[in-house]
Amino acid sequence: MESLHDLTLPVPLPEGLQRGLLFGTFTLHLLFVLLMLGTAILALSYFIHAWWHGHLDGLSWAKQVLRFFLAHKSLAVVLGVGPLLLIQVAFTIPFFTAIVLLAPFWLLIIGFLVVSFVSFDSLGHRIYTHRYLHLVFGTVAMTTLLCVPGFFVAVLVAVENPHRWMDIFNTGFAFDWRLTVHWIFRYLHVLGAALVFGGAFHYFFVARHYPRYRASLLRWMLLGLLLQVVLGIALYWSLLQEVPPVVYAYLSVGISLTAVMIWVVATAMGSRGPLNHTAVIPLLLALLTSMLLTRQEFQDRAVSPLLAQLKQATARYAAELQPYEKTALADYRDRMNTVYNTGPIIYSQSCAFCHGEDARGNGPDAKFLHVPPEDISAIRAQRSYVMTILDNGVPGSAMPGFTYFERQQRERVAGYLNKTYDIFSLPGRLPAQVSSQVRQKAQAEWDETCSRCHGKDGTGNQTSAKFRPPPPNLTEYSLTPQRIRHVIENGYPGTMMSSYSSLGDQEIDALADRVVSFRLHSSSTSAKSSPAGGPEPNE
Amino acid sequence: MQFPYFQFPVIGDPLIIELDAVLHVFISHGVAIGMVFMIVLAEYLGYKRKAEAWERLAWEAIKPTVIIITGIGAVTGVGIWFITAGLVPPAIGSMLRVFFWPWFIEWNVFFWEVVVILVYYFTWHRWQGARKASHVHLGFGYVALGSLSAFLITGILAFMLTSDGWPHNRSLWLAFFNPSFLSQLCWRLSIALAMGALFIILYISFFHDGAKAFRQQAVSYYAMILILPLIGMIATGWWWFDTIPPGFKAHAKPSILIWVFAENIRWFWVFHIGGGIILGLLILAALIRNVPAARVLIIPSTLVVLFAVAEYERVREFIRGPYLMPGYMYANEIMLTEHELFTKEGMLPNAYWFKRMAPTATLEQEGAFLFAQNCGTCHTIGGKNDIRDRFAGRTERGIYVILGRTEQMVPWMPPFSGTDEERSKMSHFLDQLVAHKLELEEPSRYPSAEQGGTD
Repeated sequence: MESLHDLTLPVPLPEGLQRGLLFGTFTLHLLFVLLMLGTAILALSYFIHAWWHGHLDGLSWAKQVLRFFLAHKSLAVVLGVGPLLLIQVAFTIPFFTAIVLLAPFWLLIIGFLVVSFVSFDSLGHRIYTHRYLHLVFGTVAMTTLLCVPGFFVAVLVAVENPHRWMDIFNTGFAFDWRLTVHWIFRYLHVLGAALVFGGAFHYFFVARHYPRYRASLLRWMLLGLLLQVVLGIALYWSLLQEVPPVVYAYLSVGISLTAVMIWVVATAMGSRGPLNHTAVIPLLLALLTSMLLTRQEFQDRAVSPLLAQLKQATARYAAELQPYEKTALADYRDRMNTVYNTGPIIYSQSCAFCHGEDARGNGPDAKFLHVPPEDISAIRAQRSYVMTILDNGVPGSAMPGFTYFERQQRERVAGYLNKTYDIFSLPGRLPAQVSSQVRQKAQAEWDETCSRCHGKDGTGNQTSAKFRPPPPNLTEYSLTPQRIRHVIENGYPGTMMSSYSSLGDQEIDALADRVVSFRLHSSSTSAKSSPAGGPEPNE
Repeated sequence: MQFPYFQFPVIGDPLIIELDAVLHVFISHGVAIGMVFMIVLAEYLGYKRKAEAWERLAWEAIKPTVIIITGIGAVTGVGIWFITAGLVPPAIGSMLRVFFWPWFIEWNVFFWEVVVILVYYFTWHRWQGARKASHVHLGFGYVALGSLSAFLITGILAFMLTSDGWPHNRSLWLAFFNPSFLSQLCWRLSIALAMGALFIILYISFFHDGAKAFRQQAVSYYAMILILPLIGMIATGWWWFDTIPPGFKAHAKPSILIWVFAENIRWFWVFHIGGGIILGLLILAALIRNVPAARVLIIPSTLVVLFAVAEYERVREFIRGPYLMPGYMYANEIMLTEHELFTKEGMLPNAYWFKRMAPTATLEQEGAFLFAQNCGTCHTIGGKNDIRDRFAGRTERGIYVILGRTEQMVPWMPPFSGTDEERSKMSHFLDQLVAHKLELEEPSRYPSAEQGGTD
């Protein structure tokens, strides 16, 4: 499998319907985005203007404009969900790729929107707060709000340029200069449109009660329209693709409509006569549609070869996966039937692959380890010591801590092991009889050699505590004497404990007995010191 | 592998999704359904009893409510989508394909919700007198639309826990009306009303400047309403828990047994029963019309319920354990069938982006990539759920063995996907990382190889 492929689940609606719905919903979304942006820009500039000149009437007008922000932004958000849903099924790979490439900016949108929305709405619905506060809130809200279309436009620019994805990735969420220039002009183009649409909305629906602001709204609209002309030329110049003929058709419609709009607005400004909304609103909507058709055409052209390629690759990939379906589902069923709630089940799932089903340290994965898993059946240790190992693991070995299981579950495992292998009982003694001479020799060996790591009293010392793995505290953790004998004779691979087979059988027996006695001795003293210290609780 | 990779820095992917989602639940349930219901109720009482005080309470409370719903509620809701699209695209992409139509219908409902709440808000003063009844109906209509939204989304959320027969037969109906759907819907409606009642009591006791007698009356009225959804929370919570497969249920305790709970289950009960007592005291104080006492108790009471809601969402998201879509996709966005394929043929040969990004990949780069794809959804490097902590003290061979058994050893972890050789590469990478022989902040930024990246 070499090429890029799509998700293997089928898209649940036909392609024509996807495209049609996407275009329709996106147009509606953008309409309200433009209204929202226009409302915000106009309201803040009217506020600053009125404040600067000390017009109380102007403040009330600014509030009147901003009041509509609540509706515009709410509808912009809700109408954005439709296209978001549709683009993710219709352009899965291009859209998600663009988002991941620009992920930090994409995620910032949420925070920016919350800050901006809450600030603007609070201002619009509870005015006459302190003016400086108003200015600060308004500026923060405006700045965050203005960033958002920038991020969205960047994502669309990335969607439309699949051959530059790898460059964007390698430069770390950044565009090269050509993409950047194109992106800036597109972004400004959106802001210009926002002035036109916002101006028109407030002209027709709000200024009815504030006729003296109509002239100023016409000026805003004219500014927006002229900006559209300049930015449109710049945008054309910055195009990164070849321009298909149909785009010229859309563009000429757009340019003619803009020219008509400029003429209409300029006439209204000259004659001071009102604009006719039955003529202007359809004109503006047609203008928006021609703008979006141009955009859609570029996007379709840029990604359609990729989408066709993806379709084939996806079919191939699905066919490649098909044979595994049965096994995968069987595994799934098995797994759902495994409930980690008893000692034996947790042991067999989480421990046995190293320690073995019979706990003798011979699980199937033991062969990979330099430090072999312990033969659990030979452990003769204090309960608390075993629990500490279960909690923290053994550093320098494969044995991890198991605190991700709750205490009760860990205790169930320990209880199960004790019930089956008596691991909390005391170690027995070797049957072999050892002469006192050998015993003395063994003691000397212990003092001379073993105690360097294990300490004279079997508890280890500061140096050996740093070993990975460190030696166990023999007063709390012991093994059956047979197993101790085995360790002395063969060493413990992967640790500092080397083989002492040269000592001879009798001396090894005596040493094993010496080791056992640490645990026996400590247990008898602790039993004496606390009357309740008898056998440890079993599970 | 079909997408470039990005991980949310420091706190990792799951926590940022959780934070946004829980905030959204507080608002979409507690404010949009619960609080608005309580406000419309106040408006209704004002209209029915011709009581100006109730009407004033309703009008004053609706302003901040609308701002919060449309400014934070809607954005955090879309935010869940934004975040998942940026962090876990195969997951949200696949979910969207299965549930396209429920989601599409939900979007339409959401649109009308917004329209209705805006009309409700902006027509408040115009629809007085004879039209007041219609205005109240509009308010209840909004609550009904909000509940319909909850109905549609719950089907999708419940699927992520109990996918039922879907993996076998791909039936949308079975997927939507899955075993934990109805109980979860009832739970969501209960918490919506409980939070709503608490929020309005909070509003009355701290922000409303009505007459003392009215505030006493209103607080005791809403406290009475609060009793039912609180009982509902316990009953439906229990019912919901009963519908979960036992394999998942076994992870319920570990999912909430964090902090002090982990080592001592007694603390768990102290917290929960203590929370219940605080709520009981609040209801008592409100019923005997002691507003100052209610004022003291309302903040801890609200926190208790918010905590319970967050806890529920945490359990629900955690216990689905190794799966994102049970029977289809693991939590690390690798499909169950892909896991089988990668085990046999390897993940690296199938990695479109990686191969083009680093044509001369070093062992570390390969390891980092395998880590990002296999573990990056949940584990960070140096942040939350730090992989260095998880493997501290282990040997390279130990890491290798554990990687091969993750799904068995930890019941809520997905398996490693890749060949034995790849597992070995990744264990080498992790061993270097744990020993600080290799420094890498983000798995999305692989260690740079001088010659890598260009070709």
